[in-house]
Amino acid sequence: MIKEILKNIISKTHVIPFPEGFRISPEEAAKGMNFQERIDKVFGRSLRIRQVDAGSCNACEWECTALTNPIYDIQRFGIDFVASPRHADALLVTGPISRQMELALKKTYLATPEPRLVIACGDCAIDGGIYKDSYAVTNGVANVIPVDCYIPGCPPTPVGIILGLQQLLDKLTGE
Amino acid sequence: MDYILRKAIKTKENLNEIYMEVSGYDFRDSCVYIYEKKNAILRLMFATDERPVDGSFRIYTVFSIPGDERLFIIVLSLKEPDMTFPSITPYIPAAHWYEREIRDMFGLIPEGHPDPRRLVLHDSFPAGSYPLRKDWNVIERDMKEWGEGKAVKEPYKFMEVEGEGIYEIPVGPVHAGIIEPGHFRFSAVGETIIFLEPRLFYTHKGTEKHFEKIGFTEGVRLSERVSGTSSFSHSAAYCMAVERMTGLDITENAKAIRTLLLELERLYNHIGDIGNMCAGTGLAVGYARGAVIKEHLMQLNERLTGSRYLRGINIIGGVRKDVFIHRDDLISTIDAVTKEYKEMMKLLLDTISHVERLENTGKLSNEIARKLGVTGVAARASGINDDMRKAHPHLLYGRLDFEPHSMSRGDVFARMMIRAEETECSISIVNSLLENSYKGGLVAEMKEIPPYSSAFGYTESPRGSMFYWVMSDENGEPLRVKLRAPSYCNWPAVPFAVHGNIVPDFPLCNKSFNLSYSGCDM
Repeated sequence: MIKEILKNIISKTHVIPFPEGFRISPEEAAKGMNFQERIDKVFGRSLRIRQVDAGSCNACEWECTALTNPIYDIQRFGIDFVASPRHADALLVTGPISRQMELALKKTYLATPEPRLVIACGDCAIDGGIYKDSYAVTNGVANVIPVDCYIPGCPPTPVGIILGLQQLLDKLTGE
Repeated sequence: MDYILRKAIKTKENLNEIYMEVSGYDFRDSCVYIYEKKNAILRLMFATDERPVDGSFRIYTVFSIPGDERLFIIVLSLKEPDMTFPSITPYIPAAHWYEREIRDMFGLIPEGHPDPRRLVLHDSFPAGSYPLRKDWNVIERDMKEWGEGKAVKEPYKFMEVEGEGIYEIPVGPVHAGIIEPGHFRFSAVGETIIFLEPRLFYTHKGTEKHFEKIGFTEGVRLSERVSGTSSFSHSAAYCMAVERMTGLDITENAKAIRTLLLELERLYNHIGDIGNMCAGTGLAVGYARGAVIKEHLMQLNERLTGSRYLRGINIIGGVRKDVFIHRDDLISTIDAVTKEYKEMMKLLLDTISHVERLENTGKLSNEIARKLGVTGVAARASGINDDMRKAHPHLLYGRLDFEPHSMSRGDVFARMMIRAEETECSISIVNSLLENSYKGGLVAEMKEIPPYSSAFGYTESPRGSMFYWVMSDENGEPLRVKLRAPSYCNWPAVPFAVHGNIVPDFPLCNKSFNLSYSGCDM
């Protein structure tokens, strides 16, 4: 551990690469390096995300949870999931927005301080997915609150979510 | 059983399902008889709108008797204008949610039910909408009337606890962690929980109605998306129901692949859950270890099937991919996982501060578990030795040698240890499945779906028993699909388990049940 820290200080590399034995290619890891620099620049070193489940099947939530496990360890990029919308820069919304969650989602959105970003994560959040046109859903986040970024997948893999967040940064930095 | 058969107006047998239609006078008697005299378990209860068939609504009450592989279904038929049926809740408390759900979705009134409030539909749904009736359609309604619209609403009244020093803590539906939405209202004195009322169904997506709309084949995809972490159990039970309805026999090879994947799903869930319980006690190292082992298994799932959640494998008539071609990968990964898992369990059981938090926390008594019809890990931790794999053998479970475990103490520790024992059991099932080879192709040829036929599909998911019931209409399209996820049975037990515990232990109790909101809310 101490070795790793010293190595990072000497080589000025901020990001510890993904551990071996897992399915993440070196190119993806390299993208991650550049990812952190931009989070430093745009968000002052910390991007805080509030995850809101608005009717998802729970697969997207588990992939977000997996992002915080020791393998993906998203905190090393300066990104973390926070407990309150008041602390958040961005809302990550999953699920087709069930009618019974619509009001709660609107209130959560209003409780998030501006400027705020909204990320629609998963096929359901994009257009209702398989649940499209059911009587109890509103067919996607964009029908309830404005969306800045879409991450497709059912569910998107943890790496998929990281790549999606990179795209969001690309958009913000105009790259 | 002769007692009910004598009273029956009509009986029907299909595979191991015995349908007995009784009159309104005999309905309650028959149900109470089988429940009390035969010690039967109420598996599920649902209604159908069969007015297109013969002009009546029907209520199906499904029981299984310990030691008997058959399912006993007591059927009551209701014709308009009489829209009431005798409630069985006062005698069989496990029926309480089913009856309220029937009232919400069909407008059939259970007479004598102690709780007149809505269950599935919240206040924002206009009064007098019954989504599962065949003549109800969303397009006819002005969508704007929902939510904050002007339509007549049905307000929901929370139960109140009165007394000196009692205060309420409302939590949710948007929680602090990365979890699903649900509202919990605690009534507490100091830190001690006197009463907890959960209000769920925030994620109600109209799944059952949607099944009717999209057809049987596409239904497989929908069943995988009912509850994320039991995707495979859901689709396996759904496919089994449709296959039984059409009289389709799947090959031995397909059965072996389904059995193997069901056990892999149980493995990643149980190990993940044991790790998650550490988050409830603040043991970060245990939580991290559980998450790493789970990630290993998820990546194995992806290599085997292309999906981390084992989606896209099941189709009606069999499976899409042969996972046995990855035999070497499976053996080496399972070996590595077994080693890591054993190290983790040693760490957890040697950490006294962790074990002490688990012991005597969140106790669910055997009596309450039995009355509420609790299923799965929670039931087995409270001394109910019920496992669908043994009670109603399906796939290859009849041939495999394993024993369901149960413990009588009913606390969080028992629920962890049941998971630990089942993890070892699943590992040995996976290993023994890998020793043999199996005959047949992957998919059996699809047969035409006969009109007005029905059948059950079931399995033991990581959370407990799971049921699907499907019925076809005159064209072989779905007339009704009923799903019953294990969480639906277990949620009502959570308030009893947390009673008398302190509020900070609630997350731990909740994690020890690990219930799905989406599966329950449908």
